[in-house]
Amino acid sequence: MYHTEDKTYRLAWIVALPLILVLLLSGCSAGVKTLSIFKEEVPRQELNLPKPTPLEMEEIYWHIITSENAEEVFAKLEKDGIDPVLFGLTDKDFEMLSKNFAKIRNQLMQTNELLDKYKEYYESDEKKEDNE
Amino acid sequence: MLGIRLFLIGIVSASLIGAGAYVFKLRADNAILKANAVKMESAIEEQKVLLENQQKDFQEILTANNEMNVLVNNLKKDLEDLDKRFNKKNRDFGKLAIEKTKAIERIMNKGGDNAARCIEIASGSPLTEEEINATKKSEINPECPSIANPNYVPY
Repeated sequence: MYHTEDKTYRLAWIVALPLILVLLLSGCSAGVKTLSIFKEEVPRQELNLPKPTPLEMEEIYWHIITSENAEEVFAKLEKDGIDPVLFGLTDKDFEMLSKNFAKIRNQLMQTNELLDKYKEYYESDEKKEDNE
Repeated sequence: MLGIRLFLIGIVSASLIGAGAYVFKLRADNAILKANAVKMESAIEEQKVLLENQQKDFQEILTANNEMNVLVNNLKKDLEDLDKRFNKKNRDFGKLAIEKTKAIERIMNKGGDNAARCIEIASGSPLTEEEINATKKSEINPECPSIANPNYVPY
């Protein structure tokens, strides 16, 4: 009886010991973690505002009045049915007005060009493809 | 005697099972490492593409800046030319207007029309065929040749 009990203990050990060893061996080393790469890219909706309609300038006529031709100019205005009144500029003021207009034109040109460059840079076909 | 034999059998079988389990674990780790390497390679490729795109962007920015600088300089030159036209060789525009009233009136109105066209172009109006093809001084818009006549080279 004692002999059988002793054998059972031994058998139990024989089974248990390898199991413990296996658990110890496989559990000691830390496992390799799987690498995760996250991508988060949500392209912003394009603004796509239409460009303003180009200006169509009204035609104006400049009259030159000197002390010699003043009467003739006013008479011609009356003859053409135009009120005989003129809003005057001196030669220097006319020069300044021309320069002011040129400056406004340059500013307009630069702003438009700047807008085009921004649009070209941020909304070009190539960029769209990249986003896709 | 039997006990020692059983103990040794236990040790050997434990070692074998342990070694087998370890090999399986190594295989699994290896598979994960391979997958990681593939991911790393694709990440490196993406980084390369990103760098290339960044370089393209830098180039685009540089080109845009240069083009803007050229435009600003051309516009500045147009403005200087306008100033010269009024004061060329100590020219007195007022005196000229008194002496040659009709001629100056005609020149002023032509200049006014040209200046108005310049503003239209600056606001986005497309250039006409005539404006594009103008190469001679007599064909250009002298108020703003840099924007109205792209093919005109000052001579």
